[in-house]
Amino acid sequence: MTQSPTLTRRPTSSAPVLRKSKQRGADARAGYTFLLPWLLGFIALTVGPMISSLYLSFTNYNLFEAPKWIGLDNYTTLFQDERFLQSVGVTLSYVVFGTPLKLAAALAVAMLLNSKRKGQGFYRSAFYAPSLIGASVSIAIVWKAMFGDSGPVDQGLSFFGINLGGWVGNPSMTMPMMILLTVWQFGAPMVIFLAGLKQIPADLYEAASMDGAGPVRKFFNITWPMLSPVIFFNLLMETIHAFQIFASAYIISNGEGGPAGSTLFYTLYLYLRGFSDFRMGYASAMAWLLVIVVGIITLIFFRTSKSWVHYSGDSK
Amino acid sequence: MISRRNFLTTVALGTASAAALAACGQSAPAQTGSAENPVTINYTWWGNDDRAERTRKAIALFESKNPDIKVNGNFTDFAGYWQKRATEAAGGGLPDVMQWDLSYLRDYGQRNQLMDLGALKIDTSGLEKSLLPSGQIRGKTYGIPTSTNAFAVYYDPAKLKSLGVAEPDGNWTYDEYKTWLKEVGAKGNGTLFGSTDFTGIWWQFNIWLRQKNIEAFTEDGKLGFNKDDLKTWWNMASDLRGTPAIVSEERVTQLAPKSPFGSNVTVAENTWDNFMAGYLADSGAKELKVVPVPSDDPDNLGLFLKPSMLMVASAKTKFKDASARFIDFMINDPEVGQIFKTSRGVPASKKQRDGTTFEGTDKVVVDYEKSIEKYLKDAPEPPIVGFGTLEASFKRIGSDLNYGKLTVDSAADAWFKEAEDLIKQNA
Repeated sequence: MTQSPTLTRRPTSSAPVLRKSKQRGADARAGYTFLLPWLLGFIALTVGPMISSLYLSFTNYNLFEAPKWIGLDNYTTLFQDERFLQSVGVTLSYVVFGTPLKLAAALAVAMLLNSKRKGQGFYRSAFYAPSLIGASVSIAIVWKAMFGDSGPVDQGLSFFGINLGGWVGNPSMTMPMMILLTVWQFGAPMVIFLAGLKQIPADLYEAASMDGAGPVRKFFNITWPMLSPVIFFNLLMETIHAFQIFASAYIISNGEGGPAGSTLFYTLYLYLRGFSDFRMGYASAMAWLLVIVVGIITLIFFRTSKSWVHYSGDSK
Repeated sequence: MISRRNFLTTVALGTASAAALAACGQSAPAQTGSAENPVTINYTWWGNDDRAERTRKAIALFESKNPDIKVNGNFTDFAGYWQKRATEAAGGGLPDVMQWDLSYLRDYGQRNQLMDLGALKIDTSGLEKSLLPSGQIRGKTYGIPTSTNAFAVYYDPAKLKSLGVAEPDGNWTYDEYKTWLKEVGAKGNGTLFGSTDFTGIWWQFNIWLRQKNIEAFTEDGKLGFNKDDLKTWWNMASDLRGTPAIVSEERVTQLAPKSPFGSNVTVAENTWDNFMAGYLADSGAKELKVVPVPSDDPDNLGLFLKPSMLMVASAKTKFKDASARFIDFMINDPEVGQIFKTSRGVPASKKQRDGTTFEGTDKVVVDYEKSIEKYLKDAPEPPIVGFGTLEASFKRIGSDLNYGKLTVDSAADAWFKEAEDLIKQNA
């Protein structure tokens, strides 16, 4: 896999240095040729639109008429927009509560599945399945029906004497519902945790057992530090992912962010601003603000990671 | 989930493919088709399955009468409809012919996205002269209504009977109307409610303003009413919110996109009279009735015939002639009237109206529009640019009011802030 193409060719020249550089040029050309379809797509479909959205974020653009340059107006009005502030609040609470819960669930299940037992392949697939289908429209619809009035959740809780009514129409219950939906899709980080757990040498646990360490001690002194690069990776990915929640909120609230703005996530408000209110410049400003904020958060994660993420010098 | 990247990519893709399609269109030699080599026009509309079925029938009929034209139909629900159109318009790929609403006529007409239908061969002689101006902006005809709607209070006579509440005769003040709702709520025993909060409906508010001789929007595109008017209006239901006279907002949200009335949760609902077919289908009721909205001035009900389900064409269509023929067909053909009955409203064209037989619930709608004829006033001009957004935020803030998240005063502040911001933005 990692074998470089240079090794497969045999330079026969007496001027190997020159040949080598020539050949490198040829290899690079071949490489870029193969890369070209992706590169073209990346430039035309990602970089291009991103640059144009950066420009649009400084304009008043209604999709129909030429954009009008208004400088930083979009960015400054954002902070006087109550719905914008509401969307920031909703998104932050989703990220802050949803992500750690999801990772905790993923890690807990990964540890359960780490032991050898019959049918473990089945269990792994079963727990992973929700994250495959979880982002789909149909699941959001099912979720909405499950948490609706006299849906299975309402009936199940009523059986235990908890009468919450439907969650979908209750502004204070929609956030727990959305968080449950994301926690339920813990499969992707779980698989990564599982791979990480397999890397931890068993003899560490054996030695700890011999020294009389209990499971809690083992977890905090062996599993956590040994797994910390994987935890860091998952935390980073899931946090970024959580900021981008859109489809499920769109479906569950009929594209309106209701009830009472309780599911007005950042990207949903961005979408409504752009495509319902024809304020594409404003929406672009929101998009760029999100890029910047997520960038800063990532940076903070990397900075703090030094104190708690341990990379082993030789990974056995 | 849509990531920011996917989101932008989708936009770019849409734009690119629209550009590619446009390029293909240019190379196509024929703008008129023949039976062997027909042209294809795209038609899109919003609505439920019922309307989709009827529209398909109409398209099939059109194609059999016009073998040189094929119509490619497509539909979505109302909210998603406008988001789709916005994306298409940005990419220059609007469908050739579209069903349109007055709320969005200025947004697209004033921004040169729609074709001036006055220049095409479309027969509008069967339409009331007073109807045409609402499809016109600055002397150009951007939309022609297929039908007219009047605002009304729907009620379910069977449910009223079971509760032992008398049927209304539509000759009522707001106080009488509210008393009636309260009675229904009180006897409904927690299972049946009066109505949704009528003060959350923009058009009901607009009609109330007209009853007080206030136009909602001035000619230069400003608001014609002030914050106190809006506060008075929202305060009107203060004593109903939280009581069974009004169905709780939790229920309304749960039931969406179906209406509480269509879901047999409320006994009455205020809306346009063309909802009859949809309500009957949703609720399974045998019979629903309509009466005029309440008014404190019995001589001024503030009602008007709203031109609805307008037909418009894209400014960029390559098939002007085929589009014009399809629009003409949808507006004037008597058989189209037979297919749609009153599900689009009462046909606007006399030709189509006279060629349609109205029975049962369709007759209820036609009779209703006849019965209020003497109270009707001229329809308002096409609302201001961005009206669709204002209408949506009116509904949203009305809902927040019912959730108790806002007081009437803060709700009025919130709506005015959004409205003023929007008007400034589009000035």
